[in-house]
This record gives sequence, structure tokens and C-alpha cells, in this order.
Amino acid sequence: MIYDIRHVTRFDYGRPVAFARCNLRLKPILWSGQQVERYELAVTPAGETRPALAEAGLANVTRLVVTERVRNLTIESVSRVMVDRMVPMPQSEDPTLAEVAALARANRDLSAAGPSAYLYPSPLIPLDADIAAWCAQDLDPDRNALEAGIALAQRIQRDFAFDPTATLVDTPPREAFLKRRGVCQDLTQIMITGLRAAGLPAAYVSGYIRTIPPPGQERLIGADATHAWVMLWCGPARGWVGVDPTNGIWMASDHVIMAIGRDYAEIAPIDGIVLGSGAQKMDVSVDVAPIG
Amino acid sequence: MASHALSEGLFDAAAHAARWVADYRGRVGEGAGDVVAGGDPDAWTAAFEELAVAAGDDLAHAQERVQRHAEDIGTGFRVAGDSDERPWPVSPVPLLIAEGEWQAIAEGVAQRAGLIETILADIYGNGTLIAEGAIPAALINGSPLFLRPMVGLTLPGGYQLQFAAFDLGRGPDGEWRVLADHLRAPAGAGYALENRLATSRTLGGLQGRLNILRHAPFFTAFRDGLAALCKRAEPRIGLLTPGRWNASYAEQAHLARYLGFLLVEGADLAVAEDRLYVRTIAGLKRVDALWQRADPRMLDPLAFDSHSTIGVAGLIDAFAAHNVLISNAPGAGVLEAPALQAFLPALAERIIGEKLKLPNIATWWCGDTAARATVEARLDTLMIAPAFGVNPLGLPDGAVQGSELSAEARQALLTDMARRPQDYVGQELVRLSTMPVVADHELAARPFTLRVFAARGVDGDWTVMPGGFARIGEHPDIRAAVMGEGIWSADVAIYSPDPVPPASLLPAPDSTQIRRNPGTLPSRVADNFYWLGRYLERGEALLAIVRAMLGNSIDADAGAALDHDTVGRMAGLVVAAGAAAHPAHLKRPDLVQLARTALDALDGWNNIPAINRMARTIAQVSRDRLSADVVRLLDAPHPTKGSMLDRCGSLQRRYAALSGLSAEHMGRTAAWRFHDLGRRVERGLAVARLVRTFGMTGASSDDLTTLLDLADSQIGYRQRYLTGIARVPVIDLVALDPGNPRSLAYQADRIAEHLAELPVLNDDGVPEEQQAEARALCALLSTASATRLDKGQLDDAERQLAQLSDAIARRYFLQGAEPLRAGGLTLA
Repeated sequence: MIYDIRHVTRFDYGRPVAFARCNLRLKPILWSGQQVERYELAVTPAGETRPALAEAGLANVTRLVVTERVRNLTIESVSRVMVDRMVPMPQSEDPTLAEVAALARANRDLSAAGPSAYLYPSPLIPLDADIAAWCAQDLDPDRNALEAGIALAQRIQRDFAFDPTATLVDTPPREAFLKRRGVCQDLTQIMITGLRAAGLPAAYVSGYIRTIPPPGQERLIGADATHAWVMLWCGPARGWVGVDPTNGIWMASDHVIMAIGRDYAEIAPIDGIVLGSGAQKMDVSVDVAPIG
Repeated sequence: MASHALSEGLFDAAAHAARWVADYRGRVGEGAGDVVAGGDPDAWTAAFEELAVAAGDDLAHAQERVQRHAEDIGTGFRVAGDSDERPWPVSPVPLLIAEGEWQAIAEGVAQRAGLIETILADIYGNGTLIAEGAIPAALINGSPLFLRPMVGLTLPGGYQLQFAAFDLGRGPDGEWRVLADHLRAPAGAGYALENRLATSRTLGGLQGRLNILRHAPFFTAFRDGLAALCKRAEPRIGLLTPGRWNASYAEQAHLARYLGFLLVEGADLAVAEDRLYVRTIAGLKRVDALWQRADPRMLDPLAFDSHSTIGVAGLIDAFAAHNVLISNAPGAGVLEAPALQAFLPALAERIIGEKLKLPNIATWWCGDTAARATVEARLDTLMIAPAFGVNPLGLPDGAVQGSELSAEARQALLTDMARRPQDYVGQELVRLSTMPVVADHELAARPFTLRVFAARGVDGDWTVMPGGFARIGEHPDIRAAVMGEGIWSADVAIYSPDPVPPASLLPAPDSTQIRRNPGTLPSRVADNFYWLGRYLERGEALLAIVRAMLGNSIDADAGAALDHDTVGRMAGLVVAAGAAAHPAHLKRPDLVQLARTALDALDGWNNIPAINRMARTIAQVSRDRLSADVVRLLDAPHPTKGSMLDRCGSLQRRYAALSGLSAEHMGRTAAWRFHDLGRRVERGLAVARLVRTFGMTGASSDDLTTLLDLADSQIGYRQRYLTGIARVPVIDLVALDPGNPRSLAYQADRIAEHLAELPVLNDDGVPEEQQAEARALCALLSTASATRLDKGQLDDAERQLAQLSDAIARRYFLQGAEPLRAGGLTLA
């Protein structure tokens, strides 16, 4: 499947801001099953951009500096991505959860693609005993890792209400867990908490899913904005497997990965600082169109 | 006679010392491994004799004396009421270590620092040790201080570490072991300096008797080593502090002053074109290196935590571009993880082919399957501790001793360990030997740990500070001390058989370049000094009015009372200043009540205590640049004794002393100019208000007398005019006479002078805004005439002064544009 993706972010400031320095992590990464065929970034008013020298997650990071005094800033990211991914089916030769945990602890890859970085709590996803206990019901150490992963995602999808009014971007996982409601980020963070508490390597993915469903299928949740889901490392043979607790499905050809990190802080599509005072307002629009 | 008395004193001291040592040895016994019981008797006898000289026969005197010295030394850096800023009071008994024994410790420390440097370079470099399995990747990733963005960067200067600290414990067998490594922002070197000063002031003769090695060469080596790695020959080095709320701010201020570094906060710094600058009154100035004492994750909101408000956006890019050195390199803290101790002995053999000269405590990292089995088997003989300094779910209160767990707790811990074994280490139980402290008028044995410091010198080799600081536990129970809960600290003295040459941090006289202008003034500091001046002058002016009000309310029968209208105008000034409110139901102001509120109400706004509080707050953040005398005066508590007039007098003397110190003792630096600018602006505003209140057409002679009083110009008037009081001459003297140091015109002239002397951004000769404003004010006042000076002109002058103050702030100070966080995207 090939997608044309248009992701526009517009900031409006109550008063002119003098100086902005941002990280843009908008260009989808190169990853197994997807390729970026075209990419364009446009910033208005024009700022200086260049690739970042130092970065934490698996992301294409552009540093943006706008020195002009501005009242608004528009960042338009346009990409064409080819995605070709199979739905993974659990097999009897897949490792158990206990094996995955031991393999991840012993793994010698220190890079951001290696599993061991994702074994630990991270600043936005602390370990939580209650979430751990709730998730543990699906995470028997002797269970097939893929089976366990999809089972937990589907239970989250069933037991949690999708509710954009329940949480904010910085709501801690525990709060969403107690409410049993939230958006993709909340559900993703809860699932990651449960997996990591069980000693499993779990990563946070930001990306897109297609806006218009194929004929006869329901529209997926999360299509009007950036989406988030989970990657579970399932041993060296399987590698990273994506699973979407908001929709209770595997990551496949409807998902486009933008960036992968330990939590949102490492892969936020836009973050940084501007110098100014007063309020800021932000509008985001995302369009993911399949072109064949 | 004198020599007789002296020898008698020495005889007493020797007798006391002998008795103390004998008693103490008897009590601790030979087997406990106490440093005195098993140590060099001559050295300890010398120390106790000096203690007896200081204390007489009561050891508690020595304790008090050393504490007083410590407080004196620290006064410039901390504030009364903040005395708990010093976490550990000083014990008068130093820890004595012979140079021979120390040599072995120092070699072990230097070996360890070098080894850690090599491992860090590998982790953040090509990763061979991890790829080959010598260090598990999961161990590195487990540390919250591992900063992945630093992987693959080449370092400006080439090193990960320039400064490191290590906590050591001495076992009962006399063997030293490493308990902990401090790599990201090692604290405590400043306390070692203070302890040394306080102890040597108390035990004055010990330095010479025992040839104690000095600290200064160590700090010189560190400073020169850091400077040598900078690109410019005379680099500007900043000490980056997280700010005054940080627990070791006082120590940071002390070290900055001692080392000659610029004490800076994140807000003082800016990055442009991948270069780091400090915002100063002369514009942006290059910074070559930062000795950083903040949490490295907070250094740069772009590279690390975007929530950081104390960091500098773009700092890591400047670092990566080799335009600024950051010491230690961000990310060095990863090897502080206790889990690493399990691997260090084998790493030493592998990397340098040597055993660790200083062993660390035996450690097993449970992330390794075999090690976990060992820990489970030996649970009763081990401590179970967090592997990375972060408490895992199974250890919500930190480390536990395996043998002390109930069956239930033990099972719960094992279950959690089975889920996430990588979060745990097992460590051997440490036993610590003891040293003497003064408790309850006698010596008592307490367990201690030792923090030692190592710095990289100009040649790139490690120098170890001879000494350090000892932390001593409160209870004989050793575990508390291991956990770092010691309550005393003590100087650590390394004594040598050979005389020690004198040394200090000052360079040799012929190599010093003469400098009359002491460096760069950060904008934040200029701001603070300006407002310190304004607050002090504001307090002084308010106090003068309160005092005049009181004088006239109390002496009502003495015939000196002024008429009601004049007194009412005074009350009006107090109310207008916001120092006290005038109750609406009273027609006549209750003068005594107003005065009491303005003078004494501790919860008031804009009254004397509030103004002093603000001055004190500024002093707290400026202590690296204020003299101890100034800090002491600002710290003095609000007077509570005597009548209100007595209290006014006491406060007035305090203000006068502060004003005298600034006029006579502060160097004529840019900082002083800002302080004086603040005073002049505030005084100018006050005089303009006084003239408008008491000097307009129709003013009574009481009004005019009050004006002369409050403007401190009585004597000036009498020297100039033999006639009685008349309005026009009074106005001329107070507002327009440039020869009267209290007049408005005089303040304007001084302001213009200061602004002419301060740096300008362009050398085109065109006056900057604040300079132009000041000249305009001078012109207005020099051409005005006392006969025609009216309320409108005074309003103009006051407004111009206020604008001038704003222009000064705009030009020189950090203008408080708050960083807003971009982002917070909607996710669905």
C-alpha cells in the first residue's frame, strides 16, 4: 500500500514570540515493511532547519530555529510512504514471554533498535503495581509471546473506553488506568507499563493510520491525528512486532510508523521551546490517503 | 613568666590528651579496627594535644569552636536561618591518615577514575565492550543516567571525566573499599575546603606539627586542566548551578569564587550558531567551558528532557560542534549504577590487565542469571539493593538486609525479582571501622565513610585531593553510615614525614596578568545588584518617614510637634508606598498604628520587614559577590527589643552601615555601579515625591522643615541660608542644587555618570536609550528654576526616572520572556 500523508501543525501565539527552537520528528523512519518514497517539510515563516546531531529514539530529527518575531508558525510535513506488512500469526516456535525476557536481558545491542533499552520504566511511563497486576492476567511467563501480546491489546481495547475528553497529552498512565478511559496514548502507555513490569521490552510508536477504510470496513480510531501504539520485541527471529491496543489489532499495512522511542518524550512529533509570553493555541490536521 | 604559663598550658594539654586517648582506647578495644586504637599514637596524640589547647579540659568547647569557625567561613555563602543548608556539622577531630597509607588510596582512586574513563569512552563510542559481552547492554540501558543522544559524539577536549568523587569505607581490618562512584556532578569538594579551614583555625598548631598536605594544588590542577582543554588561551569557564533552591547551591557559590569560575544559571546562557554565550551587561560573551552541577538530563530541553526549564536549548549541539566543553560529559553518570560494581573487577583485568587496587564491595547483578541464583542462595548474608539507584517495585524503601526480611517479605521480594531481576543487586554487608567524635563532653567511637576527589590535571593525568571529607554516623550502628545518613563531617588530614611547602590557589606573582576590570558581569547579577540598591534605599527612606511620624506623635506635649496637616501628609506617604493601610473608618490616621505596621508587621507588604526580606533574597543569590559583612547585616533578624523608636534607630544604623560598606568597601566594578544606580534611582523617586508632597505653593513652615528633614538636608540649608525657612530656597536645595548629595539633580547627575561608564553595544558614539534618557533628565533639572518648579514638572521628573529604570532593565537585564513549550500534540 502506498500512502500520501499530509500533516499540518499550526501554532498561534497570543503575543509575538521572539525565538523558537524545536525538534521536528515528522519524517517517517525507514523500517522493515515500510519505505519513504518522498518527503517534504515546509515551515512558514521560514526557519533554519538541519538534522540533529544527538538524538535518543528511532526518529528522523530535524532541529528548527526561527529567529523572526512571529505570531504564528505553520509546519507542513508531506510524505509518500510505501507499506507492505503482513499480519503476524503466532507460531509454535515463537518464544514464550519468559524466554523473551531472558533474551532481551542478554541481548548485546545497545542501540535504540535493540530490545534492552525498552525493558525499563521511562520518565513518562513509570512502573505501576496496579497496572502491572491488571495486565499480568494475560502475561503468563510460559505463554507464546505473540499470543500474549495480542490478547493484552484486545483486553485493553474491550475494557477501556475511547474518550478524547478524559485525558490530556500529559495525563499519567495511572490516571487513565483508574478511569478506564483515554486516547491512543493512554492505552499505549498502559500496555507498555504492563509489559515492562513483566520484564518484557516494549516501545512506544508514533505514526499514522489510514483515514478512509477499505470498502466494507469500519473506519479506524485515530485517523484524524497522529496515532500511537506499542512494539513488543519477540526474540531475535521475530524482532519487533507492532500491536495497537486502541483498535485491538496487529500493526500491519494500515499503520505507518513515524518514530519509535521509550515514551512520547523521545518521539514527540514537535517539541521544543519558544521565547515569549501569553497563550499558545495549536491546530493539527492529518490526512492519510491511500493512492494504490 | 609568660613562658612559664605557656609550658604549664602545654603540660595540661598533654595530660588531657593522654587521658582522652587512653580512655578512648580502653573503650573501643583493639579488635574493633578503630583508627585511633590501631593508628599511629604520635600523630593522634599531637591532634588531641592541639584539641586540648583549643578546648581546655572540656571537649564540648572544641566542638563549639570548630562549629563557629565553620559558620564564619560559610557566612558569605549561606544565610542565617538557612544554617541547615550545611548538611553535616563539623567534628573538631580530624581523620588522620599517614601519607604512606594515603598513597595507596590515591593510586587506587586514580586507577579507578582512569578505568571508568575508558569504559565510558567505549559505551559512548564504538561499543566493543558491550558487543563482546563484557558489559550487558541491559545494564547500561537500565541506568536513568545513560544518555543515548551522547552515543557517537566525539567530545570537545577528548575526555568524559575531569572531576570524580568516590565514597570509601574502611573495614575493621583496615582495608579500604569503594562504596559508591560519583561521576555526573560530584558534590562535596567545597565542604572539604570549609572543613579544612574550620579545623585548622581550631587546631592551629597541627598543620605545622604533622606536615599536613594542602588542598590548593589539587584545585589548581583541576582548574588548569579544564582551562587547558579549552580552545582559547584565557577561557571563560562557568559553573552551571541549578539555582539557589538546589541543596548544594552554597557549596557551588563557594567553589565558583574559589576557582574563579563564573557562577551561572541556565537563564544566563544562550546558544547561537552552535556557540555558548553568557548574557552580560556588555552583550553576549563566549563561554568556553561549563563545570556543570545540574542534573545532566536537564541541561538541554532539545537534546534531553523537553520539560526542563533550567537548561539551555541548543547546548548539546554546541557541545557536539566542539564549541563548548561540558564537564563532566553529560551521560558520565551511567557508571554510577551500583550494578556496575559487579563487573568492574573483571573489566579492570580485561582493560588494563591489573587488579583493582581499591576493591569495591562485592556485588552481584541479578540481571545475570547465574548471579541471580547466587543472590537467591545467599540472601541471608547480603544486602538487596536497587541496581540503578532507582527503587524498583520490590524495594519501595530502598535496600534491605536479606536476613532481616520476614518470610512473607522475602517471598514478595523473590517474586518481584523473578519478574524484573535486572532491577536488583546483591551486595556483601559492609563493616566499617570507627573514628572518634565529641559526644556529650567526651570522645565516642562512630563509623565513618570517606569521600575522596580526583581531578584531571594539565597533563591529562589524575590528581587526587589529599584528604577529602569524612561523614560520620550518628549511631554506633554501622549500616546508617553506609546508607549515607551520617550527621557529622570531619576534615581528613594526610600527614607527611616531610615538611609541606606552602601553596595557595593564587598563581605565582610574576605570571599574573594585571587586571583592573574584574571580568564580565552577567545580566542577572547586574539585575540583582540594581534591585538590592533600590530595596535598601527604599527601606531607608520609609524608615525616615516612620521615625518622623513617631517623633511627632509621641512628643506631642514637648512642643516640637508639627501641625496635623503635615503629619497627615507623612501618613499619606506611608499609605501610598503600600507599607500600611489607612483604616477607612478613621478620619484622622492612627499614627502609632500606621507606624507599627510599616515598621514591624512581619506579614506586611512593602513595609520595612518586607523590603528587608527582598533584599535578603537577592543577597542569597549574589553571595558569590557580596562581602561577608554585607551578608551578615542583611541577615540580621528584625529587631524586637526596646520601643519603636529604638527599633527605628537600630534599623537606621544597619542601613547606614550597609550604605557605608557599599560606598567605601565595594570595588568600583560594574556590579557596584548597578548597585549605586539602584540607590540613585530610588532616592531620586523618593525626593521627587517628597518635594511634591511638602514643597508646593502654600507649604507651611512645618511642611518645609519636614521636607528638609526627610531629604536629610537640614545642615545643607543652614550652611547656605542664614534666614529662616523659605519655600524657594528649600526647593532649590532639595530638588535642583547639584552640590547637595541628597538632591534630585545630584541623583540624576550620578545616574548619567554611571551610564556613561557602563559598556555600550555599539562603538558608533550614539548614546543608547538609557543614556539619552538620563541626559534628558539632567537637562530638565539643570535648566529648571526653583521659583517656577511645579507639580507638573515634578511629575515629569518622576515619570522620566521610572522610564529610565525601565530602559536600564531593557538594556542590561535578562528580560523575562518565559520559555513556552511547543508541542502537546493531540493524539487519537
